[in-house]
Amino acid sequence: MKELKDRIVAGERAAIAKAITLVESSREEDIQQSHELISQLIKSPGHAIRVGFSGPPGVGKSTFIESFGTFLVNKNFKLGVLAIDPSSNFTGGSILGDKTRMSEISKNDNTFIRSTPSRGSLGGIAVGTREAAIILDAAGYDYIFIETVGVGQSEITAANLVDIFTLIVGPGSGDELQGIKKGITEYADLFIVNKNDGDLAAQASKTASDYKSALSFYNKESNTLDTQVVLVSSVENKGMDLVLDAYNQITETNKNSSEFQNRRKNQLSYWLEEEVRNKILLKLDKDREISKKIANEVTKIISGDTGFYTASQAIIDTFLDKNK
Amino acid sequence: MKKDKNNRLNDWEKKFVKEVKIEASNEFSYETDEGISINPLYTSEDLLNYEFNDVNSLPGEWPYTRGPKASMYTNRPWTIRQYAGFSTAEESNKFYRKNLEAGQMGLSVAFDLPTHRGYDSDDEIVMGDVGKAGVAIDSVEDMKILFDGIPLEKMSVSMTMNGAVLPVLAAFIVAGEEQGLDKKVLSGTIQNDILKEFMVRNTYIYPPEPSMRIVADIIEYTANEMPKFNSISISGYHMQEAGANNVQELAFTLADGMEYVRAAMSKGLAVDDFAPRLSFFFAIGTDFFMEIAKLRAARTLWARIMQDFGAKDEKSLTLRTHCQTSGVSLTEKDPYNNIVRTSYEALSAILGGTQSLHTNSFDEAIALPTEFSSRIARNTQLILQNETGVTNTVDPLAGSYFVEKLTEDMCSAAWKIIEEVEEMGGMTKAVAAGMPKLSIEESATKKQAKIDSGKRIVVGVNKFKNPKEPKIDVLVIDNEKVREDQIKKITILKEKRNNDLLREKLSIITEAAKNKKGNLLELCVEAIRARGTVGEVSKALEDAFGRHYATNLGVSGVYGKFFEKDDKFMAIQNKINNFEKENGRRPRVLIVKMGQDGHDRGAKIVATSFADLGFDIDMGPLFQSPKDVAKDAIENDVHAIGVSTLAAGHKTLVPELMKQLKALDKSNKIIVFVGGVIPEQDYQFLYDNEVSAIFGPGTSILDSAEKVIELISKK
Repeated sequence: MKELKDRIVAGERAAIAKAITLVESSREEDIQQSHELISQLIKSPGHAIRVGFSGPPGVGKSTFIESFGTFLVNKNFKLGVLAIDPSSNFTGGSILGDKTRMSEISKNDNTFIRSTPSRGSLGGIAVGTREAAIILDAAGYDYIFIETVGVGQSEITAANLVDIFTLIVGPGSGDELQGIKKGITEYADLFIVNKNDGDLAAQASKTASDYKSALSFYNKESNTLDTQVVLVSSVENKGMDLVLDAYNQITETNKNSSEFQNRRKNQLSYWLEEEVRNKILLKLDKDREISKKIANEVTKIISGDTGFYTASQAIIDTFLDKNK
Repeated sequence: MKKDKNNRLNDWEKKFVKEVKIEASNEFSYETDEGISINPLYTSEDLLNYEFNDVNSLPGEWPYTRGPKASMYTNRPWTIRQYAGFSTAEESNKFYRKNLEAGQMGLSVAFDLPTHRGYDSDDEIVMGDVGKAGVAIDSVEDMKILFDGIPLEKMSVSMTMNGAVLPVLAAFIVAGEEQGLDKKVLSGTIQNDILKEFMVRNTYIYPPEPSMRIVADIIEYTANEMPKFNSISISGYHMQEAGANNVQELAFTLADGMEYVRAAMSKGLAVDDFAPRLSFFFAIGTDFFMEIAKLRAARTLWARIMQDFGAKDEKSLTLRTHCQTSGVSLTEKDPYNNIVRTSYEALSAILGGTQSLHTNSFDEAIALPTEFSSRIARNTQLILQNETGVTNTVDPLAGSYFVEKLTEDMCSAAWKIIEEVEEMGGMTKAVAAGMPKLSIEESATKKQAKIDSGKRIVVGVNKFKNPKEPKIDVLVIDNEKVREDQIKKITILKEKRNNDLLREKLSIITEAAKNKKGNLLELCVEAIRARGTVGEVSKALEDAFGRHYATNLGVSGVYGKFFEKDDKFMAIQNKINNFEKENGRRPRVLIVKMGQDGHDRGAKIVATSFADLGFDIDMGPLFQSPKDVAKDAIENDVHAIGVSTLAAGHKTLVPELMKQLKALDKSNKIIVFVGGVIPEQDYQFLYDNEVSAIFGPGTSILDSAEKVIELISKK
């Protein structure tokens, strides 16, 4: 493990890749090793800013990352991209096609681009994404992009992985506006309206101003900037400087107000809680005695021997007793 | 005594169901790939109530179902036009001269991949592609060598060029000029069909919209300056090659045609000023009657379409087409069977009434044709013209209940798709949305699944296999030598020319492209005359337009559906599931195309069917270099890389890939397998370069998947 850690810190591409495989693996011994690796890496953190991108399918997330990523590597930044690909079909296999939309940055020596099938877990986030970001951070990348598909709850999970959370939207009919609930604005630091080009340009700029006015109704906490809206065209490479400016501003403001550090702390607590919850659920799912007890209690409820809430309490008590 | 017709039909039905032991004769109808059902019997009843086809029409008469001309082959048979390109202008020139002596009246130029994509031979990016799949043309000097001693005022020249269409056509014009010929006398055809490139063949350079402007500029220029030159060949060929069914091929091709007509009209041209010189290009596969019906339906629909555009000139209303026998129907296994396949396909094209025809050589599933295989291909047509009597009467199948009905069915099925495209706002929009590409990929995957599951028989491939495969000689191209020679010629060209003058001409091109002003072909002629290279002119345009990168959509679940409860399919799925349990993740395979070869049907089908089997598939972008592929493979920690190659680039690109993989991880255990068109002579070379498996054309996907999971599990 020590050797793998050193190779990662030295930035060796193959070592980073193998380490990500390790943190994504479902094999018991890999999981053990990955825990060990992560606890070592976390001791020598890098300086990466983690940026999350979410948004509905088809708004051009990958295309935006191609364009903005090119802009960053041209400024000599090192960029890691973790693309969570939702395409998983009925047999469990998947086609990971995100990279076909990132052909320019994937060639660049200063990038590391990894796709992962989401397998439907955690609403669009893959197992090991948090750890993969830790690996890329230790390897010295300046920016780590995490691209997820926007499906319901996933925004919140995704937002808890990153320092800056971005929602990408297209020139819309306004339907998306109804999607701006208070919840999401709490998480999104930046709205990017893509496709400000060709036939859609007028629509895009209207959408941007609609978002601006809609967002103005929400007051954010005083220690962060108000959510910004930036208009870009990925195909024409327009607005990329504005995005970087926004990121720099957000980072600076958040660092000055300690929001940056607080978020990381809160995220740690979020993931710790997740870990605990998942472990308990796993244990519960695998407990055959409990499944039997549930079946018994159901029979009793139907025959009128017990009530629903009494039964549930009895099951919980049994579970807790067993695991004392 | 004669019974009435209904009674006789009932009698026939009774006999039929008794003979084949079924309940009713319609149980016996067969559904084609196009979704058209073929009945066991057609009668005169099937000639009634047509919307499109007019069974009483005559050849050369509206709606031209029976042929664009009254006399057809009785007056002059179709033109034998063999597409060929050797690696260099010198060799191609020799070949053309020989063919002309052998009685060929038109010649057809195939260009190499870098030329198609607008790169000069000395560009690093095309290292493995120079001289592959055709002739390398870097400047007008190459073009002059290509046509040396060939009287361009007499010879009709067909050029398959779409991406770098401006500099190549300009070079042709300047080559004629320097033979002392006015461009007015030049005759021939340039393919110039960019829309289908975005759908299937992928040899585009610029995004769809500026590409359409280029098409329009060429139509405008030739309409004004080159009265004998066909400005566009609207091609369905590559769609069928990529797996489209006949209705899709027909519909998308005609819809492309409509889009080009609109583009030309937007330049202020009147429809009859250019439409007489639009020509078409269809593929002819092994579905004998369907192909005949397709050509008849194409003429019928085009007449209607052009009438709607206000065309008056009969030449605008008639669809004239070149055809080529199907390349994808050729098999690597038992290759002499391909001679037979090609012969029937050729007969189909002729009965459909094509104006010119290319017959494929039997070895084209394996390599570029040799002199021997080319001769047989040409003789196939000579025999049809001179020995079979097919030229003695016009449209011999007219009035066939079956063929007429099938023609009508093709018309209405294609019309539905055309209407759908029109609703999307025309083909440029449909293409940008990826609609035709996806539906063609779906058809392609279904076809493959039918063959792999044995639902469709391919002789010598999944049935009636030859236990003793014959060895055949193939043409070998020394790509390195061709590249070196081309580089030398470019160096000399650049030393001799006036660089200041050229720079000025190139910047005028960029400006005109940006400002949407001027005719780009006219400006490119000037830059080419000033000895600009194909690459330089293409770059000047790219500076304004940008280069287009396609996003790789894909279908899923289509292949797997054909294998529900199939033992072999499930056995492979089980192996994959076990692999996942043991290794903590699914077997992960990167499928790539390398170099400038854009034919991605094979890669797409492998990707989607492997995913259906349970693999995680990484799909690489098109036109990757071996270095890009290695980086992609290492970063995603894949177990295997599948290289799809169809253009003979494997001997350069695969060893380079191995080198690049080692450079990133010298102890990497990545399995590399190769699929596509690879001559058997090269197998050992690839194995020596640590390739683990080679899958030729016709390999069942299941067999290859089984082999791949086995190889991965062993490592």
